[in-house]
This record gives sequence, structure tokens and C-alpha cells, in this order.
Amino acid sequence: MFSFIVKRALSAVPTLLFLIIFSFVLMRLAPGGPFTSEKPLPPQVLANIEAKYGLDQPWLVQIWNYVSGIVTQFDFGPSFRYKDQTVNSILSQGFSVTLVYGFWSFVVAVGVGMPLGIIAAIKHNSWLDYLAVGISIGAQVLPNFVMAPLLVILFTLVLGWLPGGGWNGGQWQYIIMPVIALSTSYMASISRIARSSMLEVLHSNFIRTAKAKGLPMSSIIMKHAIKPALLPVVSYLGPAFVGMITGSVIIDVYFSTGGMGQYFVDAATNRDYSLLMGATIIFGSLTILFNMLADIVYAWLDPKIRLA
Amino acid sequence: MSNDKKNVLEVNNLKVTFDTPDGQVEAVKGVTLNIKQGECLGIVGESGSGKSQTFMTTMGLLANNGRAEGDIIFNGTSLLGLSTSELNTVRGRNMSMIFQDPLTSLTPHLTVFEQMSEVLQLHTGVRGREAEAKCLDWLDRVRISEAERRLRQYPHELSGGMRQRVMIAMSMLCSPDLLIADEPTTALDVTVQAEILDLMDELKRENNTAIALITHDMGVVARMCDRIQVMRHGVYVEEGTAEEVFHNPQHDYTKMLLDAMPRIDQPDKATNRKLKEYDLKGRDENFLKVDDVKVHFNIKVPTGLWYKNVPLKAVDGVSFDLKPGETLGIVGESGCGKSTLARAVLQLIPPTEGNVTWLGKPLDASNKADLKAKREDLQIVFQDPLASLDPRMTIADSIMEPLQTFRSDMSRTEMKAKVASMMERVGLDRNMINRYPHELSGGQNQRVGIARAMIMEPKLVVCDEAVSALDVSIQAQIIELLMDLQEEFGLSLLFISHDLSVVREVSHRIMVLYLGRIVELADRNEIYLNPQHPYTQQLISAVPIPDPSVERTRERIRFPGELPSPMDPTAKLRFLKSKLKANQLDYVPELRELKPGHFVAEHDPIEELLAS
Repeated sequence: MFSFIVKRALSAVPTLLFLIIFSFVLMRLAPGGPFTSEKPLPPQVLANIEAKYGLDQPWLVQIWNYVSGIVTQFDFGPSFRYKDQTVNSILSQGFSVTLVYGFWSFVVAVGVGMPLGIIAAIKHNSWLDYLAVGISIGAQVLPNFVMAPLLVILFTLVLGWLPGGGWNGGQWQYIIMPVIALSTSYMASISRIARSSMLEVLHSNFIRTAKAKGLPMSSIIMKHAIKPALLPVVSYLGPAFVGMITGSVIIDVYFSTGGMGQYFVDAATNRDYSLLMGATIIFGSLTILFNMLADIVYAWLDPKIRLA
Repeated sequence: MSNDKKNVLEVNNLKVTFDTPDGQVEAVKGVTLNIKQGECLGIVGESGSGKSQTFMTTMGLLANNGRAEGDIIFNGTSLLGLSTSELNTVRGRNMSMIFQDPLTSLTPHLTVFEQMSEVLQLHTGVRGREAEAKCLDWLDRVRISEAERRLRQYPHELSGGMRQRVMIAMSMLCSPDLLIADEPTTALDVTVQAEILDLMDELKRENNTAIALITHDMGVVARMCDRIQVMRHGVYVEEGTAEEVFHNPQHDYTKMLLDAMPRIDQPDKATNRKLKEYDLKGRDENFLKVDDVKVHFNIKVPTGLWYKNVPLKAVDGVSFDLKPGETLGIVGESGCGKSTLARAVLQLIPPTEGNVTWLGKPLDASNKADLKAKREDLQIVFQDPLASLDPRMTIADSIMEPLQTFRSDMSRTEMKAKVASMMERVGLDRNMINRYPHELSGGQNQRVGIARAMIMEPKLVVCDEAVSALDVSIQAQIIELLMDLQEEFGLSLLFISHDLSVVREVSHRIMVLYLGRIVELADRNEIYLNPQHPYTQQLISAVPIPDPSVERTRERIRFPGELPSPMDPTAKLRFLKSKLKANQLDYVPELRELKPGHFVAEHDPIEELLAS
């Protein structure tokens, strides 16, 4: 187990390095720059600004400075577009929002989706099954940009229970609607994966053996069926969790929550090189981390897999 | 004698119906049977005869779309109509069941002890140390080595034979009155099968357990069963004592089953035609030559932080030659490398070392264009007929594919005509031309596989367990077809099978493989009548013979221990332990020509091996 984590951490280094170089080059290849605007700056001014941010140096030197800044001081540099703000401060501000609603979305998606799928499989072809399948199909076909306005119409305009947007330090009233809008489609996917894998497990030979032993259905499910049925769900959860905690631009724009999704898109359109790089690196690291966690959970569920 | 014993199970006029999208299917149509204490009843039949469904119904394991009518009485209690919780007080306790596939019938994420002890706890309330002692006791009784360690292991750490032993131990924990065994040895190697059958026989005698043995294998029945019921299309066609059924069968179907079953002690029996003796006259000797072929796979073994590559020597220095028009049988147990060898010969897996010479020229995987041209004459038929055909292609398209590759000069009409005549030749109806594989039976699909291999009129066809998945009656037909085609086209066959009786039926010469090396190679009668290597002797003696009077008086040669893993470095010298003792782990036993054409690998005297 320990050597597995070490190995994964080591292999993350070249992956991240590649990610940095690749996105760096890609950004520079895109036309325009952080200081291009409709009214071009005088060349002298532009040169000065570029010199200030180090953009006049060769790419290799820029990448080296950037990476060594991160490694030695965990400094992602200044933002090119938000004056007097560092990327570090923007990231910490954005993530403090996204992490909260992302985490709760994950809890809701797993907490509702998994039982829904499992119960549907156990009560296969009953009204409960049809209801669960109906709910997940409904949740899947409603994209969050449709869901969000519907929620606002219902809870804000009609019922007047919840504020229609804003964050306000993360009070619960402000969290509910972003969480519902973000979690529904994940919940639907989780429930569908859980249902089909549970159905498959229930038809497997070892469940037949368990029945032949005379075990009651409840302990067949809890002891024999649940763990193997969770395997495909777990491999979906790693990337899904990253997807949720890194936020969604639609949620941020629609509910004005001020999370990472918004900053990410803005940084891309504004050519805010340093902010975009910072966000990319964080997303990349999180993806690697949670895929590793998913693998660890996977090995715990399936003794055939030895982490080494 | 058994008349005064009481009936454990009585089934009266049982009918099982399934609701399917195609309407109602009657799988069991009025079956009546009884099993007495300490008796073994054999239920024999081919696939789809309803033999399994009868007992699945007894255990309450019928699929959701199935309905049962009739009466099942177990120890005086009627089982049909019991609720699941009522049934749960009986199954696993008074009546238990073991299944065909030991590899998938145990829960993968629970240890052997967890799976065994839950039965004890559920039915007897025994737990903790007492449960452990009882599980250990039963693991010992089913002769599992290192029982204590096995208790903590997961199913994937055990071999197939060991898993079936665990299944048996688990089902015997509560000393049931009835053990239902559904094809318990079908997925196992012959030597393992022999041991599992002996074990079940012992349990029957010691514990007075009644056994219902469901099987398609007449040899297994002959060894085990007191009484036999033969089933076909959901009804019994014949029943009687083992002697009656085997020596004086009444029903045509029983006679057909017995006739179609190849017997290792009686060659040329299962088919209506005899294998034509091989005659080299007028044939070119320069045909296929395999010289010291090795196939090694790299297996990653975790060592600390990184992996180490350890070679798995699947084929480890095999040489032989094949003459035109000859059939060479290749036998051996799972993991002996027989399929890998065949694929290496055809360069489907490039050999790690060694050469294959075809018609005097080397067959070389690196020369792609040359190899592709030669493939016209080199074909293969696989084991699983359905899985080996493209499900989205009609069978005619599958058969036609080689023509499209090699005969671009033919027009589509010509190809179609050729496919149609080939289909007829292998016994497929012309009007099946637009069918898909899933619409055909296993036997028909295998005919498609053979037609596809034969359409180029190749010189060499490899049959990789080509008849192993088929019912005996179909198996006999396919073997006949292969013999016919061999005579008609003069082709050579490499016939790979784990079934020694079938191999004797079709092969001119037979090669026995053990862990990637030849242990014996001789003419077919020579090897069966005069086997020299202890492994060959063990294999032959483990094959059950479908005749109770022969089968029950036969001496079996049994070497201690499980079938070893190919990763075990000492396993290859299992029959030459003197070299192991001398610490010559890398010693390669020499293949010696005992008399012309009979090669035997070096081995210790059999008495020494049996004693160790």
C-alpha cells in the first residue's frame, strides 16, 4: 500500500510537468495575449509591460521560472488581468466556494444515487425499479443550465424560500440550489451504474451459491453482493468528485457564487496565462489524487487487486 | 438391500415452465424420481434436457420467470409452495448443492473461512473457535493441503480443483441428507476430476449422504452411480440400475448416448467410421517441422517499489514433425501449453525461440506478406464456436472472408456458389446462408467454423478443443466430418484436446504435454496400450470409462499433490525428483526414443514417485 502511494506520487511528477508544458505551449500558440485589446497599446508600453511579467524571455526560461516558483515557494505568480491580485489569492478564494458546494453535491449524488440504484436492482421490474429508472432518466436529461433557472423560478420567485444567487460566506440558504443543480446529473449516472452492476452481481454464480446455503436475502445483499456491485461505481466516483469540486461555470454564472468555474473560463478568454496555468495544475493534481483514492478503495473492495 | 432405506427426496410429476418473450417454454415435462439414503442417483442428459432445472427447482433456485408444478417432497416435507424463509431452514442444512463452475461459484471478496462459517452460524449457531475447528476438520476431510492457511485465503488464490473441494466441504458442514452435484467435475482436469469423484464417493459411504449427480458424462456416471435416469427434452426416457442401463439399454436415446461416447479402452467406437491407418506412400515428407519452439510470457511480479519480469515458460522447447495427411493429437491438462504451442506453430503468437519450417521454408512472423500468403494453407478451428464468429456477420459472410482475402480473382457470385457448396459439405442447410451465429446451435456454429477453415482447402488445420464444448452426439458427428474432410482433401490436423478418449479416436500419433514440454510421443495405440511416462499413465488411468463393471474395478495411479502451477520452478521436475534433490533445478529431461517412433522423457521410476 505504502509503496503504491509512493509510486503514484512519483509518477504524478512527470504527468504534471507534461501538463504544464503542454498547456503552456498551447496557450502561447493561441492568437492574442493578456495585453491585447481592441485599442492596441503603443509598442513601447507593451514591451515594458511584457518585460515586467517576464514575457519577453524565451519560453524555456519562462517555464523554468514558473515551475521553480511553484516548487520552491508554492507561488503561482501574479494574475495578468486582475490587478494587484496573485493567482494564489484568486485560487484560494475561488476554491473556498467551489469546494463547499462541490463537496455537498458529491454527498447528495452518492447518498441518493447509490441507494436508488441498488434498491432498483433488488426490486428489479417492480414499480420501485421503474420509479428509480424514471427519476434517473429525468435527472439525466435535465442539463444544469435548464435545472438552474427552473429551481430559481420555483424556490425564489414562486415560493420565495431561497435567495436567487450570491454566496454570502456560504450560508446554507445560498448552497442548496447550486448543490441540487450540480448534483442531479451525477446522481443519475451513479444510480444507473449502481443498478446495472448490482443486477449483474445478483445474477452471478456466487449469489446462487449464497442462496443455496439458505442465507436470507438481506445478508446475501449486505455480505455478498454490495462490495462487488460497488466496483464500477467507485471507478466512476474518482473523476466525478473532481468534476464536482472543481466547479461548473454554469453554476457560478447562474448563481453568482464566485467559484472556480467562473475564474477558469474568464482566465481562458482573457489569456490570463498565470491564472489559467494555476487552475490547470490544481485540476490536474486533484484528478491524479482522486483517481488514486478511487484505486485504493477499489483494492479494498476487491481482494484480487493488490496495490503495489 | 436399499429397499428398506427411506426416501430422502421424492419428486412427483414435476413440470417447470419458463415465460420467455417467445412464449412459454416447458423445460421439465413431468419428472418423477426418488433418492434413498446413501444412494447416488445419476441424472444424465445432453444440454437442454432439463436435468439441472429439476434440481434448481428443488433448491428453490428457479429463475424469476420460471414456474413449477407437481410435488417435491424432501424428508416428508413438501418443498414447492414453501416461502423463501421456510425453505432457508432446509437448504444449506439438510440439502445442499455444488455447482459446475467452481471458479465463479464462491464469493470473490470473502475468505474461505468467512464463507464456510456463515453456513455454520446460520444453521447451527456455531461460531468462533468451534466453527473454525469444524471448518478445518472438513477441509482436511476433502484433502486440501495446508488447510489452516487456506481458511484465510480468498478464492482467487486457490486452483479450480481446490475451490471445488471448498464447495464440497462447505456443503457438507451441516451433514446434509442430500447433496446435489450439478456437473461438479465438468470444468476440471481429468486427474482432478478423478480425485473429486473419489472424494464424493467416500462421503457418500461414510456419512450415508444421498447424492444426486447431474452430468452429461457417461464415464462419470459409470464410476459413481447406483441408479441412473436418462433425460431428454424434459422427460425421462429410461431408468434403472447402473448395470441395467449400461449393459442392457432399452431406449434408443440411451443407446445413442452410449455409442457416441468415445471410450479410451475401445478406439474407433464413437463414430461410424474408423480412422484410416496412416500411409506415407506417395507423400512429400517435407511438410511441417517444429524445432525446439519456446514461448515465454513475461509475468510482472511486484518486488518492493517496482516490478520484476519473470518469464512464464508456456512452451519450453518442443520439437516434432507432422506429415501430410496425418493427424497429431496433442493432450495435456490446463496450463500445459497445448493451445499456446498450436498458436506458435501458426505464428499467431510468435515463438520466443525456435523455428517452424513449412514445406521446406521457414514460417516467420516478421515477414508479414510472406506469412499472409502462407496462411491460405494454415487454418484453425477454435473451441467456443459462438464466441469465435463475428456476431454481426451472417455465417455465409464469415465463411466467405478467406475467399475475399486470398481469391480476389473470384466474382461474388462464384464465391457465393463456393460458400453454398462448402456449407452443404459440412452439413449445413443451404437456406441458412443469411443466418447469424446466435440463431444457430453450438454444433451448427462449429460446422460454420470448420467450413470457414476449409474453404481454402488448406493443407493444415489446427483444431483447438474444437469439439470440447459440444454434446457427445454432436461431438461424434463433428469428428466424423473432420475425418471425411481429411480423406477428401488429404489435409493434416493438429488435434488439441484435454479429452484423451476423443484424441485416441481421431489421431494417428499422440503427444502428451506437461508444463510446456513433451513427456511422451507415440502412435495412438502404442501410447494407450504401452504408456511409459508416469504422467501419461496417470492421465490415462484418470479417464473414466463408460462401463460400470470396468470402471469400478480399475486401478488408478495417483501422485500426491495438486496439479502444480507453471510458475513453480520445481514443478517441471515433478517426475524427475532425483534431479531436484541433486539441486539441478534447470535440468531439462531428455526425450529418448524407446523404440522407433515412441519417445519418452526421462523420469524417475514410477514406484519411487508414488512412494514420495
